Amino acid sequence: MRNVFEVMLLLLLLLLPLVTAHAGGQPNSPPGKPVLTSCRSPEKETFTCWWKPGSDGGLSTKHSLFYRKESSDAVHECPDYRTAGENSCFFNKNNTAIWVNYNITVVATNSLGSAYSDPVEVDVVYIVQPNPPENVTVSVMEDKGWPFLRVSWEPPRKADTRSGWITLVYELRVKLKEEDDWETHLAGQQKMFNILSLPSGGEYQVEVRCRPDHGFWSEWSSTSKANVPHHFRRDNSTWILMTVFFAFTFLIVAWLLHLNRHNLKRCILPPVPGPKIKGFDKKLLKSGKSNEIFSALVVPDYPSTPSSNYEDLLVDYLEVYVPTERELQLEESKDPHDDRLKSDSSTSDSDSGRGSCDSHTLLVDKEAKEEARQAECGQTRTEVQRSLKDWDALTYAQIDMVGRDVPSGRVKTWPSLYSPLPRHSSGPLDQQSSLQMAKQHSLSTSSFLAQEASGESYWDVCSHGELPRPLRAKTPPHRGLRARSDADVSGAGLKRAPAGPRSLAPHTSEYVEVQRVNNKDVVLLQPVVTGCYQALPGEVYSKVKRVDSDNILLLQREAREEDGYPGAEQENTTQKASACVYAAVLVQDQMAPMVNGYVDTATMCTLTC
Amino acid sequence: RDRTNSINLIILLLSVVFLGVSTQPITDGRLFSIAVGRVQHLHLLAQRLFSDFESSLQSEEQRQLNKIFLQDFCNSDYIITPVDKHETQRSSVLKLLSISYRLVESWEFPSRSLSGGSAPRIQISPKLSELKTGILLLIKANQDGADLFPDSSALQLAPYGNYYQSLGADESLRRTYELLACFKKDMHKVETYLTVAKCRLSPEANCTL
Repeated sequence: MRNVFEVMLLLLLLLLPLVTAHAGGQPNSPPGKPVLTSCRSPEKETFTCWWKPGSDGGLSTKHSLFYRKESSDAVHECPDYRTAGENSCFFNKNNTAIWVNYNITVVATNSLGSAYSDPVEVDVVYIVQPNPPENVTVSVMEDKGWPFLRVSWEPPRKADTRSGWITLVYELRVKLKEEDDWETHLAGQQKMFNILSLPSGGEYQVEVRCRPDHGFWSEWSSTSKANVPHHFRRDNSTWILMTVFFAFTFLIVAWLLHLNRHNLKRCILPPVPGPKIKGFDKKLLKSGKSNEIFSALVVPDYPSTPSSNYEDLLVDYLEVYVPTERELQLEESKDPHDDRLKSDSSTSDSDSGRGSCDSHTLLVDKEAKEEARQAECGQTRTEVQRSLKDWDALTYAQIDMVGRDVPSGRVKTWPSLYSPLPRHSSGPLDQQSSLQMAKQHSLSTSSFLAQEASGESYWDVCSHGELPRPLRAKTPPHRGLRARSDADVSGAGLKRAPAGPRSLAPHTSEYVEVQRVNNKDVVLLQPVVTGCYQALPGEVYSKVKRVDSDNILLLQREAREEDGYPGAEQENTTQKASACVYAAVLVQDQMAPMVNGYVDTATMCTLTC
Repeated sequence: RDRTNSINLIILLLSVVFLGVSTQPITDGRLFSIAVGRVQHLHLLAQRLFSDFESSLQSEEQRQLNKIFLQDFCNSDYIITPVDKHETQRSSVLKLLSISYRLVESWEFPSRSLSGGSAPRIQISPKLSELKTGILLLIKANQDGADLFPDSSALQLAPYGNYYQSLGADESLRRTYELLACFKKDMHKVETYLTVAKCRLSPEANCTL
C-alpha cells in the first residue's frame, strides 16, 4: 500500500510540469470566436459596431469585420477600425445606407486559424441612439408667488432635427439633492419644460435625455442644479380642506346641541316657578263670570277627610259620653293608641265610656264637651235633639274605621265625618253646618261597632235607647239617620259588663244600612226603613267580631255566635232589631260588596275569614 | 385618430372644392401634419405586428428566417428611393411626395393579407388608402404645373404585384415574416420622406410639429 502511494506521487510529480505546460498557454491554437456586441448610430447617418474578441489562442490575433448589403452579394470590409476605438468599426456617411440590411460578421484570425462570429443583421434605422441633449439650463422663476423651475436644452449636435431627418422626443427628471428618487417628466419634442410641482425649497437637480421616434434612449445629460427658495405651501386646497373640516365640526356640534336643547334650556334658563292655584282657570277670568271662577276653585272634596283634620273638625262636634260609672270603668283602661284620635280639648281617652262618648271621633264639640263630661247622656241628648231638629241636610254618614288597636282588641268605629260629597249644592257654609249637624246626629245615632270582651262601654251603650228614640221621631224616614246603637255590636261589652248602667236597659237601636261606597272607600250609610225590623227569613245576620289589622271587619260566624255574645241573644230576645243589619263597617282599603247594606256572613267571610 | 384625420381630410377636400382654383397651397402645413401623423401611426402598427410575429416564433425558426430574408426581396424594391440623408435632401418635395405615394400604393393590395396579429380588427388597407389620398392632396397642392408623375412606370403595377400571392400556402410563415419586415421598412421610409418634405416647406426653422 505504501509503495503504491509512493509510485503515484512520483507519477504526479513527473506529470506536473507537463500539465502546467499544457494549461499554461496553449500558444498554438486558433483564436476564439468573437462576438458582436452592439451597433449604434447616433444620428441616422453613420453607425458603429463593436465586438468582443474571444481568446486569442496565445498568438497575435487580428480581427476584421466584413459586411454585406442586402441587395448585393459583394462583401466589404470595415472601412474604419480606429475612429470608434478598440474592437470597433465605424461606417461613415458614404458607407451608410438607410433602410438597407447589413449583414456583418467579425473574423478573428491568427496563425493557426480563424474564427467567425455569428452574423448580425443591422438596419441603421433601428439602431439609432442619439447623444444626450446639450446645454441643459435650469432657472428658477416665479408665478403668483410660487416658484417653479424652467428647464431648457438643445438637441445633440449631430442629430439633424432641423431638416426633419430625425425626430427626437425628450424626457427630463428632477429631484432634490438629498432625495434618492427621481421624478420624470415627458417633454415631447419641445426643448423647454416648466416644473411646477415643487414640494419645498432646496437644491434641485435636473437631467434630460432624448430618443428618436423609433430608437433607443440616449444617456442622461449632465446634472444641472438650481436653488429654490423655501416657501410655505399653502394653496387653495389647504384652505378649502380646513374650511370643510371646520364646517363639518361645527355642524356636528350644532346638531348635538339641537338634540339636547331641552337639557340646555333647563340648565341655562331654569324654569321660574310661578304661583298656581289649583282650579284657577285663566280662561274663566277672561270670561268674567265670577260664579264660575269660584265654583271652579271649589275643590269637590273640600274639605277632605284626612285623619289629620280630625281635630279641626271634631272640635265643633258635640261630645257625648256615657254615665259616670262607665266612664270610670273606661278610664281605667286607657287606650294608648288613640292619641291621634283625641281632640285637643278631649281629655278622656277612647277607652272610657266617656271617651267613647266624647272622643274626637264623635265630633266633639268644644262647648258640649264640658257638658258631656259632667252631664249625663241625657243632657247631650237634648242637645242632640236640638241639633237634630235642624238637621235635615245630612243624608248620610261617613263611617271611618279608625281603630287600629287590634292587639288590645278594641275596635271603634264611628262616624267620623259627614262629607257632603255628592251634594255640591251645599256651599262650604252649608257644609259646615251640615257637618255639624251630621256629626251631632251621628253622635247620637252613630253605630259603634264596639267589641270587646274587655268590657268597654261605648257610646252606644251610653246612648242606648234614649237617644235613638227621639231621633226616630224626628228624622224623616228616608232621610233620617238611624244608627243603631252599638248595643248589638258591642254586645260583648254590654253583655259582659255587669248589669246595671252598663247595660242593658232596653235600648232601641237604630239601623243603618249602607247606601253605597263612595270613591274614598267610605261607606255611606242610610237609615233603614222601619220595615227592616222584619228580618228576612232566610237571611243570617252576623256581628262584627273584631277589626283586623288590615282594617278588615271580622264578622262572627253563626256557630260562634253564642260564644260569649250573650248580648246578641239578648238582643234577639229583647229586640228584634237585631234582625236588621248593622251598619257595615267598611274596610278602608277594600271595596265593599255589601252595597245593599246587608252583610252576609258569606260575603264577609270571603273577605276576612 | 384615424377618424379625426379622415374628417380633417374631408374638410380639406371640401374646402379645396369650394375655394376652387386657388393656386396657393391651402394649409399645406396642416395637410402635412396630418399625413405625417397617419404614416407614423402606420409605422407603429407595422412595428408592433413585426415584433409580435417575431416573438411568436421559435428561436431556430428565427435564424432560418434571417437567412431566408436575405435571399428574397421586398415587393417595393423596384421603386427607387433615396437611401440616405444626402439623397433625400437633394430630392425635391414633389419627388419625395411621389415616391411616398408610390410606396403606399404598392402596399395597398398586399396589406390585405397581413394579419392583424394581436388586434385582428385593425385594418391596414383602409388606412393606407386614406394616406394615399392625403398624399395625393399634397401632391396636387404642391405641383406647380409640373407633371405629376414624370415616371410613367410609377403608375404601372409592379411586375411582381402578385408575387406574394403566387406563393404556396406552405411557406406562409416565411411570407408573413417578409411581409411584415418590408411593410415596416416602407412605412418608415414614407414617414421620413414626408417629415423631411414638411420641414422643408414649413417656415419654422427648428421644424417642430
